[in-house]
Amino acid sequence: MFTINEKITVEIRKVARDLLKKGEVSAFLGYTKGTVPMVMKPFVARRQEDAERLSWNSFCVLNLANYLPLVLKSLEPPRRPNEPPPEGPLPKVGVLVTGCWSRNMVVQIKENQIERERVKIIGISSRGMVDRKKVQALVDNNEITEVIEEDHKLIVKGHGFTREINRWDVVRDNCKSCVHPDPVIYDEVIGDLSGGRQVPKRFGDIQEIEDMDIEERWQWFQEEILSCIRCYACRNACPLCYCPTCFVDDSRPQWVGKSIDKTDTALFHILRAFHCAGRCTDCGACESACPMGIRMRLFTKKLYKDCMELYGFEPGLKIDEPLPLTTFKLEDPQDYILQQGQKGEEK
Amino acid sequence: MEEKREENWQPKIVAFLCNWCSYAGADLAGVSRYQYPPSIRIVRVPCSGRVSPNMILDALRSGADGVLVSGCHPGDCHYISGNFYARRRFALFKRFLEFIGIEPDRVNFTWISASEGEQFAQVAREVTERVKRLGPARKLVKEIEPCSR
Amino acid sequence: MSNPKGSVLVVGGGISGVQAALDLADSGFYVHLVEKSPAIGGAMSQLDKTFPTNDCSACILSPKLVEAGRHLNINLLTLSEVLDLEGEPGAFKVRVRQNPRYVDTEKCIACGTCAQKCPKKVPNEFDLGLGTRKAIYLRYPQAVPLKYSIDEKACIYLKKTGRCGFCEKVCPTGAINFDDKPKEFTLEVGSVILALGFRPFDPSSLEFTGYGRLKNVVTSMEFERLLSPSGPCMGHMERPSDKKEPKRIAWLQCVGSRDINRSCHGYCSSVCCMYAIKQAVIAREHSKSGDIEASIFFMDMRTHGKGFEAYYNRAQKEGIKFHRARVHTVLKGKDDNLIVRYVEDDGIPREEEFDLVVLSVGLETDPSAISLSKRLGIELDADKFLKTSLFSPVSTNRDGIFVCGAFSEPKDIPQSVMEASAAASCAQERLWPSRWTETKKKSFPPERNVYAEPPRIGVFVCSCGINIAGVIDVKEVTEYAKTLPGVVFAQNNLFTCSQDTINQMAQTIKEKGLNRVVVASCTPRTHEPLFQETLREAGINKFLFEMANIRDQDSWVHQDDPEAATQKAKDLVRMAVSKVRGDEPLPYNFVPVKKRALVIGGGVAGMVASLSLADQGFPVTLIERKDRLGGHGRKFYRTWQGNLMQDYLKGLIETVMSHENIDVRLNTTLKAVSGSVGQFRSELSDGSMVEHGVAIVAIGAESFKPRKGKWNYLYGKNPNVHTLLELDQRFIKNDPGLLGMNQAVFIHCVGSRVPERPYCSRVCCTHAIDQALKLKDLNPDMDIFMLYRDIRTYGKREHIYEEARAKGIVFIRYDLDNLPKVSEKDERMTVKVRDPIIDEEVVLHPDLLILASAVRPRDDVGELSKLFKCAMTEEGFLLEAHMKLRPVDFATDGVFLAGLCHYPKPVEETIAQAKAAASRAAIVLSREKVPAESITAIVNPMKCTGCALCTLVCPYHAVGIDENTGKAVVDTALCKGCGACVAGCRSDAITLKNLGNEQIMAAVEAALEE
Ligand code: SF4
Ligand code: SF4
Ligand code: FES
Repeated sequence: MFTINEKITVEIRKVARDLLKKGEVSAFLGYTKGTVPMVMKPFVARRQEDAERLSWNSFCVLNLANYLPLVLKSLEPPRRPNEPPPEGPLPKVGVLVTGCWSRNMVVQIKENQIERERVKIIGISSRGMVDRKKVQALVDNNEITEVIEEDHKLIVKGHGFTREINRWDVVRDNCKSCVHPDPVIYDEVIGDLSGGRQVPKRFGDIQEIEDMDIEERWQWFQEEILSCIRCYACRNACPLCYCPTCFVDDSRPQWVGKSIDKTDTALFHILRAFHCAGRCTDCGACESACPMGIRMRLFTKKLYKDCMELYGFEPGLKIDEPLPLTTFKLEDPQDYILQQGQKGEEK
Repeated sequence: MEEKREENWQPKIVAFLCNWCSYAGADLAGVSRYQYPPSIRIVRVPCSGRVSPNMILDALRSGADGVLVSGCHPGDCHYISGNFYARRRFALFKRFLEFIGIEPDRVNFTWISASEGEQFAQVAREVTERVKRLGPARKLVKEIEPCSR
Repeated sequence: MSNPKGSVLVVGGGISGVQAALDLADSGFYVHLVEKSPAIGGAMSQLDKTFPTNDCSACILSPKLVEAGRHLNINLLTLSEVLDLEGEPGAFKVRVRQNPRYVDTEKCIACGTCAQKCPKKVPNEFDLGLGTRKAIYLRYPQAVPLKYSIDEKACIYLKKTGRCGFCEKVCPTGAINFDDKPKEFTLEVGSVILALGFRPFDPSSLEFTGYGRLKNVVTSMEFERLLSPSGPCMGHMERPSDKKEPKRIAWLQCVGSRDINRSCHGYCSSVCCMYAIKQAVIAREHSKSGDIEASIFFMDMRTHGKGFEAYYNRAQKEGIKFHRARVHTVLKGKDDNLIVRYVEDDGIPREEEFDLVVLSVGLETDPSAISLSKRLGIELDADKFLKTSLFSPVSTNRDGIFVCGAFSEPKDIPQSVMEASAAASCAQERLWPSRWTETKKKSFPPERNVYAEPPRIGVFVCSCGINIAGVIDVKEVTEYAKTLPGVVFAQNNLFTCSQDTINQMAQTIKEKGLNRVVVASCTPRTHEPLFQETLREAGINKFLFEMANIRDQDSWVHQDDPEAATQKAKDLVRMAVSKVRGDEPLPYNFVPVKKRALVIGGGVAGMVASLSLADQGFPVTLIERKDRLGGHGRKFYRTWQGNLMQDYLKGLIETVMSHENIDVRLNTTLKAVSGSVGQFRSELSDGSMVEHGVAIVAIGAESFKPRKGKWNYLYGKNPNVHTLLELDQRFIKNDPGLLGMNQAVFIHCVGSRVPERPYCSRVCCTHAIDQALKLKDLNPDMDIFMLYRDIRTYGKREHIYEEARAKGIVFIRYDLDNLPKVSEKDERMTVKVRDPIIDEEVVLHPDLLILASAVRPRDDVGELSKLFKCAMTEEGFLLEAHMKLRPVDFATDGVFLAGLCHYPKPVEETIAQAKAAASRAAIVLSREKVPAESITAIVNPMKCTGCALCTLVCPYHAVGIDENTGKAVVDTALCKGCGACVAGCRSDAITLKNLGNEQIMAAVEAALEE
């Protein structure tokens, strides 16, 4: 019997091989197994035989949308800044997507970072990816040498121990609260689509913080970012952080100091989160990438929640819907506006 | 830093006012001699749509005890739609600041038209009062580096 | 005749006079603007908000007034009257008397010290006597010119020399001049525009309203002042008797309008329905508790303008009560409350108590305007409005003298503004050979290149007499300024804006080699242009300048805390210095102008606009998609005043076709447009390219044909069911079949004011009634029934409604819940409708059924609007830049609109709008180059990701993504410098010149330095 992921892996290899063979794509972006357990590495297959190295399991936590623009770029002939783009169609790339990644791609398409015509999108409905840190914690952070994945459990082995873990218990928080596991854009699908999920308390984690009082929240925020070492792994893992000069590196104006000062760290996280407002799909790549276990996803998710509440908007669901900060409605809520100068229909 | 919550403590509040309505409203407050506390430092910007979260953070980081952003009433923006975009940006940003524990009264938004001099004075008084109640800002203030720049 | 004069006299400084003056002054004429009061602004300056956008009236008006006040080519003559006029078109001689102001406008700095000290209080006419002012006063806080004046009837000194004279003693600049005398002079002008406005009807004579007797009965104008934040109760809305906020307010419509018996005004004042709704809406917003009950008592609800019907619908939804009833008495209740007695459709008398009653008073001509017209030999009509003809709506009976605004008929602000531009156009059609002959021009020395220099900042700290120095220690501030980095010079002046200080400032800049200047004084909104000009005179780029507002925003608002005010002044100076340090010289941008107009659409609007421009000597390309000119107009029989449309059209087409300046292209459409104002390039369907400086969009509209669905009423099924235009066709053809008919029924609002087309088509009521009259002429015994929802014969059109009723035409009201039912049996039509007055069903058997069907936008409006990047309303009409004050401009500079594509309108309004569009276009075409914004956005391609967010938030479509580089680029000709893109860009890749993040941060950080 094959597990679901093994079946998907077989399919992926087949699709990738075919596409490369027919020359429909010049590269195929997927995952390959890393050297350590529970680590999957993004992998670009450029030849048919590379396809055999592609793989799929519950540890595909890095967002492939983050690598896609680079792979596309690598296939373009080099040109100088002012040179017009070459005539004729450019080489295409095949890529695997789950719900959130596909939505990131929608945002990327809207923001001119990728061209839809140049990507062959292979959709997979995500069953939720596993949080390595949770698994580690369950085995008291002992070294893990092997993880065998079945459909609903993980068998974790280390020096002198073997443990069986219920897979869902260690699925990442963002995946647990995800209601859009199916890709929103794709050319082909592997496996079955789920048709969407119901989640009881989708924003429960945010609600919990909102329910604290203001000082408790400040306390929480400070503690949350306390261990931040400003390595920017979160930023680098994000498919939507693509500025050539990130504001943290800017010196004129200097938005954020370069030191590991607590204010600077706070400003970094505030601005980073705000830059993702109305764009972030809660893919969790940032959190998975963080070596210090900072849950910066809570920041972006708060903005996600508010965008939904205020503007009924969820990022990346529809390709022809404007991003919430580039549009407005006359009747947008404005209850935060000071009473004095108030006017209009609002309460 | 010792508590300086005495009655006569004047907070420092940075106010970003759009040139066409709110700045004019502040002028009218003057013309009409409406008095308000000397806590507000006005920065004139072309439009409330010009104000970004970065600017607000910069004020807080540099030690502002409060921030006020004011533009034309929705529909009155000199540049047609600037305040509509601003309204969304600030709605999200303000909620976010509150989420991470910045007191709601630190960062204030309002609409003031060119003919609302009294309202401007009123807002200035009110915002000052709110900020005074909170006391000096600490949360996002960058400690002055020991060596002078 | 020798060349005409290059100057024009505009009489009346209200919004229409100001607009006419600005249009003319901006297109090469010298304008004398005569206003009888001490300040321009007219009635609009008294309004709180304006419908239908609820814009703050003062906010949108002020910039226009300031512009007029500062205009080099507008000679503002306040306190002045025209005595008489002689000569002929092109060379009039006008005698003008200017009454004394007793205040030297050169010296007055509007500090208001005089008014504080003046002991004499009189009722303030600006607040209609609801508040008081002093004998020395400003008409209103934002008055233009911002100069005090003495009311000679109130001044103690002037009445009895030697008494009082306080103002003279306290004036810090010595501006008071009690010896001021009236002056008389003669102006030589080529043309005259009368914009004499209106006055609100005085309801004192109408006993039943209780006005004058009952304290809490006010006129709508008075109520406007009660609502206004600058009014007598500072916007808190207090009723006169006890200063309490009224909770139940009634508006009585048609007070002094549509009433021949009691007020002798048979016409409709056009604006009252809308302003009453607006006041009701605003009153609810203003009220502290928000629980105001607003009731409007009306006969017909006339919301016939753009966006009005939607406004009305919204007001109904929000709970404003509309009573279709005529009020017969207002009585005193207890606590000064009011009892309103009225009768509704059912004939049962009712009464209701209110806290306040607002009389929606009509508009009438001011007696001074009547006597001036007599002196000038200008004809008025029976209603005492100026007499115009529908095909030349802004002309008077005297050649060379034109009219605009409410003086010719009651009308709203946009219509007045449109006419103002139209009148300007008419003047230009005559005077164009003398463009730029009498105008003045400023010249400046070449600018020193300061790029490489380190900042050398000069700071000028103003005392403003005692306005600043009375509170702030200006010496200390000056000393402090000297310590700031980059400052090489600081000085304190008594009056920095006085002519001698200005001269000295220019001198200092040169002597000390200053390359940046800070003035700490009043507000940049009034004084920045003056100081910037000084910099230019001293050979420095004007953008190397900042102001610190230490008066309006400091000394005046912290009068009791000199210490804190001084500290704040230092902070403000430090902020300004920090900011100016980063300022760079900016180019004075210009775009050269291609002297040609492209007019799209060959209907009346397009032809009139083309002709007006062509008559001013500008080449025009007129394109029409069909094979002949005339458009919608071809289908019209006559105007409501009986002028035959086809005769007019024939003459117009002939003139256009044979005009040497007009290149008519039939069967041609627009394919593509590039460029911006001054430099458009358009591709036409015939493959040719047109280069033009401006474009006028006049693509018309269509009439709705109810072929199926709810509004069908047998249309297309029975040969005797027509739309209005189809009946016109039969009139045009003199169809004998129309003779001998017994009965006709008209159904109004077919497809208008319904959910799928929620606007009023404006023209149909008048058109239908006129047709009914025509039918009656043909068949005097005919029975005619008009099935209507509200009769909207606004303005003078009311007279034909009156006539129709007098001639026995029957009006039966229906509403959307009770639509007329039309059926047919054996070719006999039956129309059934419920008559609400008798509450019975009426059954009719007409020979002719006329459907007053809607005017609807063309389906292809969207494509065209995309080409010019102009906006559309939800209904599909084109959307002007500003509904109130820029009714023919698009937000895209250099593109204008006219006619039905803007909104349904009768031919006279179409003609006025077309001429207005021509006038606006002439402002561009009359110049070699047009100025463009200097403070524009600029992209740093190294940082730009090409994400295009900036392109989405720019209201002017000024940013685009370069196809080659994939990076954003700003079209500086389109950019207005709002900075939306800057705040929208995450990557800090786009910034505003001199207002970049870095500079704003410098100011912010300076504010917070101790
Ligand atoms: S928003 Fe910024 S990064 Fe994006 S295209 Fe515009 S300038 Fe470039
Ligand atoms: S500054 Fe305003 S007008 Fe100019 S490009 Fe940016 S958004 Fe457009
Ligand atoms: S100009 Fe005031 S908000 Fe845009």
